Amino acid sequence: MSLLVARDLSVSASIGGETLPVLQSLCFSLAPGKILGLVGESGAGKSMLGLTIAQMLPPGFACSSGSLSFGGEDLIAMPAVKRRALLGRDIAFIPQEPLSALNPVLTIGQQIGEHLARLGLATAAERKARALALFDSVHLPQGEQLLDRYPHQISGGMCQRVLIAMAFAGKPRLVIADEPTTALDVTIQARIVRLIVDMQKRNHTAVVFITHDLRLATHICDDILVLYAGRPVEYGPARRLFSAPAHPYTRCLQLASPSMRGERRALLALPERMPGLRAWKDLRGCAFAPRCPVAIAGCSQAPPALEETAPGHRAACIRSAETGGIVAPPPTAVAPAGEHQPVLQAQRLCKTFAIGGLFRRMRFSALRDVSFELRRNEFLGIVGESGSGKTTLARLLVGLETPSQGRIRFATEVSDTRRQRRSEIQLVFQDPQSALNPRRRVGTIVTQSLEAEGTATPAARAERARELLREIGLAPEMAARFPAQLSGGQKQRVNIARALCASPKILVADEIVSGLDVSVQAQLLDLLIALRRQRPFSMIFISHDLSVVRYLCDRVLVMYRGEIVESGATGEVFAAPKHPYTRALLAAMPPDDPSAAWAPALFESAAGSAP
Amino acid sequence: MTRIPQWMMSARVLAGLSVAALICLAALFAPLLAPHDPNEQTLTSILLPPAWLPGGQADFPLGTDSLGRCVLSRLLYGGRIAMTVALLSSFGAMVLGAVLAHVAGYFGGAVDWFIGRVVDIWMSFPPVILALIFMVGLGPGLRNVILSIILVDWTRFCRVLRSEVLIVTRRDYVTAARLLGFSHWRIIAHEIAPATTPLLITLASLEMGIAVIVEAILSFVGLSVTADTPAWGQMIADARLSIYQSSWNLVFPVLAIFVTVFAFNILGDGLRRTLDVRLAEAQRA
Repeated sequence: MSLLVARDLSVSASIGGETLPVLQSLCFSLAPGKILGLVGESGAGKSMLGLTIAQMLPPGFACSSGSLSFGGEDLIAMPAVKRRALLGRDIAFIPQEPLSALNPVLTIGQQIGEHLARLGLATAAERKARALALFDSVHLPQGEQLLDRYPHQISGGMCQRVLIAMAFAGKPRLVIADEPTTALDVTIQARIVRLIVDMQKRNHTAVVFITHDLRLATHICDDILVLYAGRPVEYGPARRLFSAPAHPYTRCLQLASPSMRGERRALLALPERMPGLRAWKDLRGCAFAPRCPVAIAGCSQAPPALEETAPGHRAACIRSAETGGIVAPPPTAVAPAGEHQPVLQAQRLCKTFAIGGLFRRMRFSALRDVSFELRRNEFLGIVGESGSGKTTLARLLVGLETPSQGRIRFATEVSDTRRQRRSEIQLVFQDPQSALNPRRRVGTIVTQSLEAEGTATPAARAERARELLREIGLAPEMAARFPAQLSGGQKQRVNIARALCASPKILVADEIVSGLDVSVQAQLLDLLIALRRQRPFSMIFISHDLSVVRYLCDRVLVMYRGEIVESGATGEVFAAPKHPYTRALLAAMPPDDPSAAWAPALFESAAGSAP
Repeated sequence: MTRIPQWMMSARVLAGLSVAALICLAALFAPLLAPHDPNEQTLTSILLPPAWLPGGQADFPLGTDSLGRCVLSRLLYGGRIAMTVALLSSFGAMVLGAVLAHVAGYFGGAVDWFIGRVVDIWMSFPPVILALIFMVGLGPGLRNVILSIILVDWTRFCRVLRSEVLIVTRRDYVTAARLLGFSHWRIIAHEIAPATTPLLITLASLEMGIAVIVEAILSFVGLSVTADTPAWGQMIADARLSIYQSSWNLVFPVLAIFVTVFAFNILGDGLRRTLDVRLAEAQRA
């Protein structure tokens, strides 16, 4: 007996007079007490399912055909009053951004009380007792005090736990979790996932878990549905789907993300990117065919049907049998590791910020006694979660902040003016959207450092722009475009090109792949490796993603609360971590092997301290 | 790029712009359009109603005032003062306010604090009173009217723009420009100012409406241009004395001010809707 069944569910949007398919023929069934993973890259249409259930689709979007039934009743045709009665009680949601899902001007107690009142708890005393019991179930400490707190006074992870408590408060039959952990730190992420699974088991709830992380989905879900360009491409039991994918896209997703164990293998970087919504209508055959490594002429003739390849396992691919043959490219020779000569030495760096107003001045120590050296042509990774001081360190190194104590020495003696530092060290920004001036063309952005020198002629600048664009793998015509006309991955490439223009000896890259989809991430990582082969440079690569650091970096520093707690060669640190924090970081990563046990630490019980 | 820019497509912008342009043209060609010299007194025909009413004369289309001066001619000539003041004083206030706002927002710290406090103090005075004080100090005359409006109203630009500059300054591309070694002035001019210009244009068009009103108030109390130059506020002041005999004398200058200010306001609103960075970026995303 299935709880949630979708039959040929399609959603379409009418934008500017055109009708565009958003979701096409979605079929799945979810039994009570099971978890369905909905996996896909950003823009694949994953979130549309949750919005369809809540009937909160954006204006112009509507369910065009098919059915979606919940407990035998049709959710699409259901009158609004009846659906409202279901939402929050029988169907609950866990949102992506915990902080924006809670009302900032109401206390946690008021918000949870309101929800509990709706669920039928009449008296305030009842509601309070229930709220405290719920907090206990999600391991939130000091529930009494938490009731009087406002959302901004508690951490994102705690907000998400409050929302999980609220979602499970009415013993719902179905919970929709839409990327519930993307906004959180790695270790918190793992705990939140573990918590959702625990709550789900305890209440025998069915969960739709929407995520972009195939590996994570494999570990927690019973079934997985992979979406590409709004179409289901593969659907089957999670472990089977991961160990024997029947659609090339699923296989490529696996090969595009770096692994944490075993030999360092090269990544399979798919060319191009998923077509945008407006192009979906014109795709005649398989949407993935243009990027597929095993595509044949027949692939772009007609859309493939979702066919069973094994019992319970279906894939929409005519070349399904070929999928197993897709392998990652042979490992490329990594550029010679760093030489011993240091190009940068940080000596006992400290940074203290004064916060607060005139009367209550507090000092906050962002970096404490950080010493390390960066060697010539070395890629040095820095890992740690938000608040560990990674970004402060980056800003100190490039000269945007001055250290409170300690000093930074470059191999060649430079004075502290930025003009002199320009050819020594450059920063690549985290958010490509904000890092590119929307009113400048790509060609002028990448050659800004020539502009700063003020000596290059327009022709020389244009030539240099073409050269840089070629180097970072963009067509020279892109020079005439504005940043708004580029995709996220292309923007990040432009961002890198601008930093490279001054030919700096050191690049500092602050979380430059974190907001990107795995296939685009793989392209960028390979670009960095290719650049390193072409022109030797040293890089400080800051990331919260250990697997990326493992793939790219020779050495790694682990930072925790402003201090370096562990450092060493990447392979050694990750294979045999010594510091408990490094071990916690590693334990938070879902293992590559789908059958390996993965039990990230649970939140400490109510008595313990909050993370 | 041959595409018509988006702001030109807005009905508000087109309406506001065409009405304002019409008023400007009428003011510019006042010597050709006006049937009489604005100061010419025909004492035999005072307080005439408009020509289409009983007792009106075709010679004075909008009637005459208590000294027998042609209302239409005075309106047209008064428009010259109103438009000159609107354009020049809003431009001046914009330049002064924008420069200080960019300096305050970009450099922050003590500079920002100081400019912020000056704005606070400035804005604590009722603006019209402050303008009156300046006029008393500077003496009458068109140049001084413009100057006093600039000195009063730059704070509007400064306060609103400063927060916009703060937002833009925090963008990573500004940091990137700093890392590449650009000078502060170049960063302000090339990276920040282009992003704040739409807001600046919007504010300027709203300021034009405000300037028209302030000028009318000043000339109403007789502290604007000298008495021999016709101005809308002056006309209202004159008409006030004979309001029971001829209410038309009051209606026309008030209508002129209303139409002008309304045109500038819908122009400003239209520009805000189409040029506002945040709105435009939200649509693009």
